[in-house]
Amino acid sequence: MKSNYLLSNKYKIPGWILLILGLIAGVFLMLSEFESDLLEIKVLAIYNGDSIISNEEDVGFFKIIENNILDEIIALAIIIGGLLVGFSKEKVEDEFIYKLRKDSLVWAIIFNYIVLMFAIVFIYDFTFFNVLVYNMFTPLLFFIIRFNFLKVKA
Amino acid sequence: MKNNIKIERARYDLTQGDLAEKIGVSRQSINAIEKGKYVPSALLAIKIAQLFKLPVEELFFLEEGE
Repeated sequence: MKSNYLLSNKYKIPGWILLILGLIAGVFLMLSEFESDLLEIKVLAIYNGDSIISNEEDVGFFKIIENNILDEIIALAIIIGGLLVGFSKEKVEDEFIYKLRKDSLVWAIIFNYIVLMFAIVFIYDFTFFNVLVYNMFTPLLFFIIRFNFLKVKA
Repeated sequence: MKNNIKIERARYDLTQGDLAEKIGVSRQSINAIEKGKYVPSALLAIKIAQLFKLPVEELFFLEEGE
């Protein structure tokens, strides 16, 4: 089965490692509010908006600001890991597996937006911000879970 | 669409895994096709039929209303 967007199977295991490390670190960060000065570095912000903690001179386009990059690293680990896991070939890649992958993608998008609609209606204020954070990753996670579930079931 | 893959497999004493390997697909695919959960492409159907030395129509049949 030829498909032009799938990576080679050898990316599967590094993908899982990155994804799982990212998820563990992400959950830990969310629950513990862990802070470390180690990763506090200067970064380029394409646009930096007004916030309680920022100076007025830091507001605007293309500003160099101080930021703790731990959350950025974790988010990228989850996304890159998830993409590698979801879009690398299976050991035996064929038309049926390809169909399972496509069906899982459709299912994940629909399921994700149903959950999000529910959250929009029933979750408010700052808690909703958490929903948005989780929603950065849930389409990919739902897809991976659904795909592997269908594969094991088949 | 129904098929006789399971019967032909038994005739040649092949497991789903053996057949999958000979055709170059996953074991899940053979299982899904056998159970009628997945209709294979013409390419795959012909490959399986050729392996069993049968015309495709003797391995796969349309069900009523299809």
